[in-house]
Amino acid sequence: MRTSLTKALGIMLLCGITAVLLSSCTSGKSANGKVQIEFFQNKPEAKGTFDELIKTFNAEHADIQVTQVNPPDAETVLKTRVVKNDVPDIMAMGATDTYSILAQSDIFADLTDSPLLKTIDPNYIQMLKDVTGMDKVTGVPYATNANGIMYNKTLFKEMGLDVPKTWDELIATAQKIKDAGKIPFYFTYKDDWQTNLPFNALGPNLVGIDFYLERRENKVTFKEKYREVAEKQLELMNYGHGDNFGKAYSDGNRAFANGEAFMYIQGTWAISEIRKANPNVDIGFFPFPTGNDPSQIKLVNGIDSLFTIAADTPHKEQAEQFLAFLVEPEHIGKYIKEQTLFSAVEGVKQDDPAVQELTPYIEQGKVIDFADHYIPAAVQLNSIVQSFLQNKNIDNYLNTLDKEWDKVANRR
Amino acid sequence: MNKRIAPYYWMTVPAVVLFFIFMTLPALQGIYYSFTNYNGFGKGYDFVGFKNYFNLFQDDNVGNAYWFTFKFAIVVTILTNILSLLIALGLNAKIKFRNFFRGIYFLPNILSVLIVGYIFNYLFSNVFPIWGQNLGISALSTNILGSESLAWIGIVIVAVWQSVALNTILYLAGLQTIPTTLYEASNLDGAGKWREFWSITFPLIAPFFTINMVLAMKNSLMVFDQIVALTNGGPGRATQSISHLIYTGGFEGGEYAYQSANSVIYFIVIAVISILQIRFLQRREMDL
Repeated sequence: MRTSLTKALGIMLLCGITAVLLSSCTSGKSANGKVQIEFFQNKPEAKGTFDELIKTFNAEHADIQVTQVNPPDAETVLKTRVVKNDVPDIMAMGATDTYSILAQSDIFADLTDSPLLKTIDPNYIQMLKDVTGMDKVTGVPYATNANGIMYNKTLFKEMGLDVPKTWDELIATAQKIKDAGKIPFYFTYKDDWQTNLPFNALGPNLVGIDFYLERRENKVTFKEKYREVAEKQLELMNYGHGDNFGKAYSDGNRAFANGEAFMYIQGTWAISEIRKANPNVDIGFFPFPTGNDPSQIKLVNGIDSLFTIAADTPHKEQAEQFLAFLVEPEHIGKYIKEQTLFSAVEGVKQDDPAVQELTPYIEQGKVIDFADHYIPAAVQLNSIVQSFLQNKNIDNYLNTLDKEWDKVANRR
Repeated sequence: MNKRIAPYYWMTVPAVVLFFIFMTLPALQGIYYSFTNYNGFGKGYDFVGFKNYFNLFQDDNVGNAYWFTFKFAIVVTILTNILSLLIALGLNAKIKFRNFFRGIYFLPNILSVLIVGYIFNYLFSNVFPIWGQNLGISALSTNILGSESLAWIGIVIVAVWQSVALNTILYLAGLQTIPTTLYEASNLDGAGKWREFWSITFPLIAPFFTINMVLAMKNSLMVFDQIVALTNGGPGRATQSISHLIYTGGFEGGEYAYQSANSVIYFIVIAVISILQIRFLQRREMDL
């Protein structure tokens, strides 16, 4: 009996050793003498463009090899890898709450005095500071996107409509289209993140981004400040199609590309998807007219991609070389052209005809960040807004926003 | 003596080790983290005692998820068992193309839940509404997944459609254990089909009824994939199940420790329900 017990213990020990061995031999480095840099990014749309840029870079640098990693649901994958202490050398993501949480966990290298930030528009560097609430800069803003109202130029011309400059004009235009028996807005509210697009435009313009900095210190509430935002968002719902909560983002892109609706409250990121569905569609884009004073209206313009370097990577220098390559005007120019985004590097222009109406706002700095970049992900803003648009109870909605915010703040 | 026992250790010890590494250890880790404020990454965390558990009971999102999940699980369990028993009875009769039909009914179980979900998602948003419009039924002319009050029915339909397959197979196996001599005897006594079902068939497949009820209940309490594919918990939080809440809150929301506490409680709830179900249903089982 004793021998069999020791045998069993031996087997257990063996299994344990194998497990340890298996896990420790995964961190392979420089098999061919080159420094391996892992470039982790979260945009499936941008995979092809980055592949080409990386190819050029690797060809120019004999001693460095950059590899792109772009898994589905990248933000969640990144979080789980951080748990395992397996942080990629370079990470690209949006300036979202995820970035904010990770930055506050000190897993990114400090780039505050880095020469990489020399050519970057200071507005976007400030945006990063606001999002994280830290003075330290840990990311290089790269490309930015904008949220506004997309419209079908051909349909507008046929009905003789002008681009609305104020909230009242927007509603009047929508009413005219509705009276003609057509669909003014194509809402795709089956996907809850689509419901926060009007929220993201109305909130920062009508209430301001400072609201969130004050909300963190419990000085204001949504109940006091967000009533107008809620009312306007509800009013828009009168001008949708029959099945506003039954259509998803992909349905909307297809429908808008085929001229089913006049306007589409959307971000610039949808342009390439819409052109895939119908390459001939003539798209225009105007900033969301949130109020009645056109000079006060700012374009909602947030950081679509920023680069960070892992704090404890042994190849910091090579990673910086690669980032310096990416922010060169020629390379970022290629990137924003193919992705229909805007450049965070000063002096690089986006000349796609679809977004020409937006560029003056960006050049004059009349921009403001997305509201949801300041709202903790655990609040689950999207589902709260979606629920509000269904039951249309403003008091209940604003209370829920305050209650969820406080609950999450208490749990942190 | 030793020689004969050795093979058993070879079979059981690795299984125990693997089970411990991949199931028990993570579960214990989860319990450990549920007493901290760990956000899933980052370098530090503090012990917060029972704070997470305390907060759970004040979070109406958790209450909402429990309400949805139980409503869903009970409806799915009942519908699945009724339908699969009916189908199994049909497939056990002497009909033409019996094996063909058995294959057809088993098909939904082979397909991946996610794929089925995405197919149904497309049907709900682009096909059924058009039928509804053409037939002039207003309730059907919009996507029911987009309605806070109706979306759960859409998920029930898909879940039942898919889980009927496995339960049918189990009932079929049960039906084939009943000796035909019993039916011959009841025929001689002049029993009708209805009487035959309640007095012979149903009592004799009781063990299969038990296992089907427990399995269907457990599976639907843990519903996750269908929700991801069909509604992602929406509209609002109308169709957010407990496991979906744990996943989204824990990983996307960065509240790892808090949702760990949620899953510890959920584990206890499922275990208690399953034990009660087995206890209760086994009491009415009978042997020949």
